[in-house]
Amino acid sequence: MNEKPNVLRPTTTDDLLDIIAGHRSVLPVGNRTKPGCSPCPDDAAGNFDRPALVSLTELSGIIEYEPSEFTFTAHAGTRVTEIVEILKAKNQYLPFDPLLVDAGATLGGTVASNAAGPGRFRYGGVRDFLLAVCLITGDGKTIRAGAKVVKNSAGFDIPKLIVGSLGRLGVMTEFTFKVFPVPSARTTIQVRCRSHDEAIEQMSVAASARWELDAIDYRVAEKTICYRVAGPKPSNDLIAGEILDRSSGNADVISLETSDRYWTSVRELSFTGPGAIVVKVPTTTTSFLELADAFADNSNVEMHLSVAGSLTWLAIQSVPALLDVEKTLGELSLAGLVFRGPVETMWLGQRRRYEIDRSIKQAMDPANKFPSLWPDD
Amino acid sequence: MPTSNDRSKPSSALDELESLFPAKQFFCEPAHLAAFESDALTAFQARPLAIVVPESTDDIISAVRWCAVNQVPFVARGSGTSLSGGSLPVAEGIVIALNRMNKILSLDPQDRIAVVQPGVINLEVSRAADSHGLYYAPDPSSQSVCTIGGNVAFNSGGAHCLKYGMTSNHVLGLKAVLATGEVVTFGGPSLETIGPDYTGLFCGSEGLFGVALEITVRLLPKPERFHTVLVGYRSLQAAGDAVAAVIDSGLLPGALEIMDALAIEAAEAAVACGYPEGAAAVLIVELEGPQEKIKQEKLQLDDLLAQTGAFAIRVAVDSQDRLSIWKGRKSAFSAVGRLSPDFIVQDGVVPRNRLGEALARIEQLSRETGIRVANVFHAGDGNLHPLILFDGKISGALEKAEQLAGQILKMCIAMGGSITGEHGVGIEKRTFMPEMFDQPTMDLMKRLRSAFDPHQIANPGKMFPGREPPALALHGLHPLEKAGVISRE
Ligand SMILES: Cc1cc2nc3c(=O)[nH]c(=O)nc-3n(C[C@H](O)[C@H](O)[C@H](O)COP(=O)(O)OP(=O)(O)OC[C@H]3O[C@@H](n4cnc5c(N)ncnc54)[C@H](O)[C@@H]3O)c2cc1C
Repeated sequence: MNEKPNVLRPTTTDDLLDIIAGHRSVLPVGNRTKPGCSPCPDDAAGNFDRPALVSLTELSGIIEYEPSEFTFTAHAGTRVTEIVEILKAKNQYLPFDPLLVDAGATLGGTVASNAAGPGRFRYGGVRDFLLAVCLITGDGKTIRAGAKVVKNSAGFDIPKLIVGSLGRLGVMTEFTFKVFPVPSARTTIQVRCRSHDEAIEQMSVAASARWELDAIDYRVAEKTICYRVAGPKPSNDLIAGEILDRSSGNADVISLETSDRYWTSVRELSFTGPGAIVVKVPTTTTSFLELADAFADNSNVEMHLSVAGSLTWLAIQSVPALLDVEKTLGELSLAGLVFRGPVETMWLGQRRRYEIDRSIKQAMDPANKFPSLWPDD
Repeated sequence: MPTSNDRSKPSSALDELESLFPAKQFFCEPAHLAAFESDALTAFQARPLAIVVPESTDDIISAVRWCAVNQVPFVARGSGTSLSGGSLPVAEGIVIALNRMNKILSLDPQDRIAVVQPGVINLEVSRAADSHGLYYAPDPSSQSVCTIGGNVAFNSGGAHCLKYGMTSNHVLGLKAVLATGEVVTFGGPSLETIGPDYTGLFCGSEGLFGVALEITVRLLPKPERFHTVLVGYRSLQAAGDAVAAVIDSGLLPGALEIMDALAIEAAEAAVACGYPEGAAAVLIVELEGPQEKIKQEKLQLDDLLAQTGAFAIRVAVDSQDRLSIWKGRKSAFSAVGRLSPDFIVQDGVVPRNRLGEALARIEQLSRETGIRVANVFHAGDGNLHPLILFDGKISGALEKAEQLAGQILKMCIAMGGSITGEHGVGIEKRTFMPEMFDQPTMDLMKRLRSAFDPHQIANPGKMFPGREPPALALHGLHPLEKAGVISRE
C-alpha cells in the first residue's frame, strides 16, 4: 500500500458539517481498519471521484447506556473496544462478534462495512442489533431514523439500509444498539473431518440440532470445525460431551486459552498473514463447496468459513491471484467485498445492476456528495 | 368514488387490464369488490375499481406494470388482517390479492432457509419445516391466517421479539416488483450480505415500494424444552418490577408478557384460563432451549420469581399445561369483545424502564375520560397494547376512544419510544409520523418512497399524512376473530 492518505478529523459536529459543505466529495471513514472499503486517490487508481477522507475518530464516546433497557447510544467514531469494555462491566455484549476490535475498528466502520463475526450465527448480525442511527446527509441535514427502543416498526427502516452502505449514503454520527446479557460460560469443541463435504454435512446437522450452538466456524486448511456452546457451564459440558460422543474420536474440547486465541484470530481476521488481501464473500454451504473446489489447487488463496457456511473469508496472497478470484466469483454468481488490500475496486465477482440502487443513492444523497456505491458503469 | 358506470377515464385501460387475465383472476362486480373493502381495522372502508388475483409471479409483474404505465394505484393484499388499515384499498385503484401465490418454493434444511411466495400463511412455513426439526420464528398471533408478504410489509412481531427480533430479522432476501415495474433481487440465501441492506429497507415498507414476489426466510432449530411460569401479583407495579428483575438477572427469556386485571377478567370469561384469582396483574415468563440449559436456568428463574412479591406461581408441568397458560394470553384481545361491544387495539412502545410510569398514565387517562382500558403487553420489549373499550352505538364514543388512543401514542413519543412496535403505521397512525420523526427525516423517507414509486401508486395514502382518509365507520372484531379462527396478540 502507498503511504497514508491525508485524512481530515473533525472534533465537533459543526466541524464535520463545515467539511461536508466545503468539499465537492467526501468519504467518511473510521480508523481505516478495512481500507479496502475506502479506496482513495492515494491507494486506488481512478474509477472514483476524488473524495476527501473524513475520519470520525474524534467524534467518539458513549452517550447513553441503560443496561436494563438492553440498549446503548454512542458516537460513530467510538472504538468498539471501548464499547466492549463498558458492556462487559455490566455483563452485556454485542452478540454478533464485531470484527477487528483489537485493530481499532470504530462503530461507524463496523456498521458501514457490515462487519460481523462468528456470533452472527446465533442471534443475528449488525443489522439485527442496530436500532437507531443519526446520519448527516450531503446537504448537511441531520436525519434521526429508527428509535432508541428494542422494538419499533414506524417508518422506513433506514437503520437497516445504512448497514453495509460503506459511507456512500451519508455520514453516520450516532447509533443506538441493542445488547444482550453475556452467557455465563463458553466451551469450544473442535472436530476434524476427512473432507469438506463431510464437514459441511456435520455442520448442517449441528446447526439444526437441539443444542442451539453459539457459533459454527470451519478452518478450511485443517478441515476442522469449531463449535462454540454458550450458557451455564454445566449445561455446556453436557452438550459438549454429546458432540464428542457423536464424533467418533475425531473431536475434543479445546482449552479456554486455545479457544480464545482461535476466536480472536477469526475476529481480528488474523488467521492469515498481515499482507494478504482479505475479501468477504456471502455464501451458502453449497457455494462454499464450489469455491473450495475452485481454489483447491491455488496456494495463493486461503479460505476460512464462518457463520455455519454463510460467510467465506478469502485471503489472497498476491495481486495476480486477485484476478483468479474475480473470475471464479463471477462464474459462480458470487460477489465479494474487499476488506483489506491494495485494490482499485471494493467489489469482486458479480455486480449489481439495478436502477433502484441508483435511485436509492440519489434519495439518500441528493447533493451527490458521496462516491457512488457501484462505480463500474 | 367511481362506480362501474362512471369509471370514465380508466375504463378503457381497465378493459386492457381485464384482458390480461382470465375471468377467474379478475373481478370488478360490486359483490366481489365488497369483500375487499377493509382489513382488520374495520373503521375504514373503500371500494376498489377491480381485484386482480395473480396465480404466478408473471401475473403480479404484469398487473404492477400495467398500474405503472397507467398510473393507477394498487394495494397488495395478503389476508387483510392488518390492524392499522395497511391493506385498505384505494378507491380509484386496484387490489392485487395474493392468496393464490401460496407455494413454498423450496426448503433447504442444509442451509436452514425457505423460499416462499408472498401468499404463504405464516404458520405453514413452520409446518413445512417441522420434519427437519426447524421452524420459522416470527409468530404474530394472527399466524394461522396472515401471510408472509403481509408480515414482510409490516415487519410483524409476536411474543418472542426480545430474543429473536421481528420479521425483518428473519428475512434474508427477496425478489420484488417495484412500483416502477422494475423486478429486483435484494439479499439472498446467505445470512450475510455485502452492500447496503436493501432487504432490511424493504421489510416494513408497508406496501409503499412494490410487491414482494419471493421471500427467503431463515429457519431456526425448534427449542427442545420450554419452562413456562405464570405469576400472579397484587399490583401492576409488582409485575413490572419482576420484569426488571428478570432482565437484570442476565437471563434471556423467549417471552415476557403481562396482562392487567381487566384483560384477565376478559380472558377468564372467554376461555376460563384459570389464572390466579384476584390478581391485579399476571406475568408469563418463558425460557426455552436445550434441556440441560433449561434445567440450570429454571432454578435461577424460580428463585428470582419467588422474591418478587408474587402471591401465586404456577409452573407449567407439561406441554398441555403450557398451552393452557398461553391460551388466556392469546385469547385476551378477542376476549375483550365480551366486555365491550367495540374496542381499539393500540400498539406503542416505551423504554422498558418506563413501563410502570406509562401504565399509570394510561390509568389516569382512563379515569379522566371514563373510558375503560385493558392492558396486555410484551413487557420484555416495552411494547404496550392498550385495548380501549367503547360502545360504537353511542354517538361520539368512537371519536373519544380515538382521542384517548392518540394521547397514548403521544405519551409513547414523549417517553422516547415508538408509535408502533409491530402493527405498522398504515392509515391509522400516519398523522403521528411527523411527531415521531422530524422534518428532515420525514423528507428523506418521502424521497425514498419516490425512489421506489415516483408516481405514488403503491398503497398511496398510507404511512405519510396527506390525503384524506376514507370516512370512519364502525369498529369491531375481524370477521375471522368473530368466527373464532384467530385472536389478537
Ligand atoms: C387477530 C389479530 C391478531 C394479530 N396479532 C398480531 C401480532 O401478534 N403481531 C403483529 O405484528 N401483528 C398482528 N396482527 C396484525 C396483522 O396480522 C399483521 O400485520 C400481518 O402481517 C398482516 O398480514 P396479512 O397477510 O393479513 O396482510 P394484509 O393485511 O393483507 O396486508 C398488510 C400490508 O402488507 C402489504 N402487503 C401484503 N402483501 C404484500 C406483498 N407481497 N408485497 C408488498 N406488500 C404486501 C399490504 O399492502 C398491506 O399494506 C394481528 C391481526 C389480527 C387481526
